Amino acid sequence: MMKSFFLSLLVGLLFSKDYVKPTEIDGKKKWKGEGTTPNLESIVIGRCYEYIRIVNPSIGEKNCTEIWEAFKKAFINKDPCNILPSDYELFINLALHTIPPNKSLFWENNHLLVTSYSDRTRRYMPLCDTLIGSFGDFLNWCGQANDTGFNYDSCPNTEECENNAVESFWKIASITYAKQSSGVIYVMLNGSAIGGAYPVKGFFADYEVPNFQKDRISRIEIWVMDDIGGPDLDSCGRGSVQILEERLKTMGYDITCIDNYKSVLLLKCLDYLNHSDCSIVSSAPSTQRGLVSPHRGGSWSRLIYTIFVAFVFEICFNPLN
Amino acid sequence: MVLIVTIVAVLAAVLLANGTKETSMQLLQWKGTGTTKNLQEVILGRCYNYITTVNPELRDKDCQKIWETMQKAFIYKNPCNITTEDYQLLLDLASHPIPCNKSLFWSKTNDLVHRYTKTNHSFLTLEDTLLGYMADGVSWCGNPSSPGINYESCPKWSECESNPTSVYWKMASKMFAEAACGVVQVMLNGSIEAGAFRSNSIFGSVEIFNLDPDKVSAVQIWLMQNIGGPASESCTGHSITRLKSILEERNLRVSCEDNYRPVQLLQCASDPDHADCRLCTNSVQ
Repeated sequence: MMKSFFLSLLVGLLFSKDYVKPTEIDGKKKWKGEGTTPNLESIVIGRCYEYIRIVNPSIGEKNCTEIWEAFKKAFINKDPCNILPSDYELFINLALHTIPPNKSLFWENNHLLVTSYSDRTRRYMPLCDTLIGSFGDFLNWCGQANDTGFNYDSCPNTEECENNAVESFWKIASITYAKQSSGVIYVMLNGSAIGGAYPVKGFFADYEVPNFQKDRISRIEIWVMDDIGGPDLDSCGRGSVQILEERLKTMGYDITCIDNYKSVLLLKCLDYLNHSDCSIVSSAPSTQRGLVSPHRGGSWSRLIYTIFVAFVFEICFNPLN
Repeated sequence: MVLIVTIVAVLAAVLLANGTKETSMQLLQWKGTGTTKNLQEVILGRCYNYITTVNPELRDKDCQKIWETMQKAFIYKNPCNITTEDYQLLLDLASHPIPCNKSLFWSKTNDLVHRYTKTNHSFLTLEDTLLGYMADGVSWCGNPSSPGINYESCPKWSECESNPTSVYWKMASKMFAEAACGVVQVMLNGSIEAGAFRSNSIFGSVEIFNLDPDKVSAVQIWLMQNIGGPASESCTGHSITRLKSILEERNLRVSCEDNYRPVQLLQCASDPDHADCRLCTNSVQ
């Protein structure tokens, strides 16, 4: 009898893979992930008002306190491993706003670069530059069952359980963002990422691509950015990027793909000034912009032109100034 | 009975009229943008965001107290009568040390300089410090009568210099300059006609005079011209020469660089196909 008891216990444990019990320390549950960001409420409400008053006032009036309450309701006083994307539905409906066409920017493996490049909606409007995204960007949160507070000590990470507050938030945020995107769609991928520029299992592949609205999208442009001096593991027409291109073409989209899109490359170069990939012609002296004294002409300007050309060659072949 | 009712009605009408007249008279009218709506939530949120995610070394700052001190500086006051003393307590609570060699001053290069510091964390502008971060792009002013804050309008600098935001920025700029040490940088605009360096700018009137020559070893000027010009001024220009002499007189070493390359790369990111932004190698598109 004891044997069968222990056997069934063992079998039970083996099959309980979906819910990993956290270790208990001093009677308090301890998860493996970071706890809720301190001062979350002030930060989030502040970001909400900042968004509607300063960043993007065109979206009109929103009740930030109401949106915050709806956000909290999704996960407060619940089992932190049982939060579903649909729990955020009320929050999504309150925080929703239109995204201008040709401004959507999807990405994988280059969060900071995308944030810099998008310039807070001035160039593009990636998910983190929408009101919904601003609620979660770089923040962390979770609650606990039978408790109306946040857990500031720890939160479950995705390995411990997938249906955690943060993961589910980003799932529904990604789905919503994809559904609202229109015009030309931009995608920034990392050509130096281990495992491929286009992760076949990821937020972009699983929640965004399937929710593109075909009748509102004119074409899709992919940028594959390699790390400066980094390995060129994937690029247009190769590897995982090819998988993405095929997938989108099969869905009927008009696709273009650009390796190391120059505008973004120039931004990346800020940290790699002396790298050969980052030398630009205009580091030559200002003579090329017409600062030559108007009183001089003829042979003088020819001389300056020769000096300029020589200087340019020097820069190009010897990037260390 | 009818007489009493009439008298009451007349009294009520007079009081009501007086009441509205009083309120509308006491909300002062100005020419500038009014206080940003939800100022409290924005300032508080920015303060917490700053101490939690931007500069966690400051996590022990009391944002609630900082906000209250800031509000006290201007609420219920005539917005043409603000002094630096009004902000002294706020300055004490919110100021923090700046690492050496990181201070980046600027004049007429607002967009470019901040795009630069958002990407390259080697440098800090005033707006990357707590005081600057909280107030950037926001306006505020008080009003002597209730509710004490004027959301309709605020005085422009041309209407009165001692207004809450102008005094704030003057005070914060002075503090930022005083705190600077090591090599400091300044990004100026070589494409404006009025000259890259102007004596009436905050940089020209406050900051350069509050740099401490015992702490600051050198001043590096980055003179940035717009991609495609105009090239109104360069390092050898008049206003730059004037700036150099003012700084040298204060015992500060000065150097100047035309179109400092890293910042120019950033400019090119917005205009990559311009002739001035061609890359030397052919391996990129």
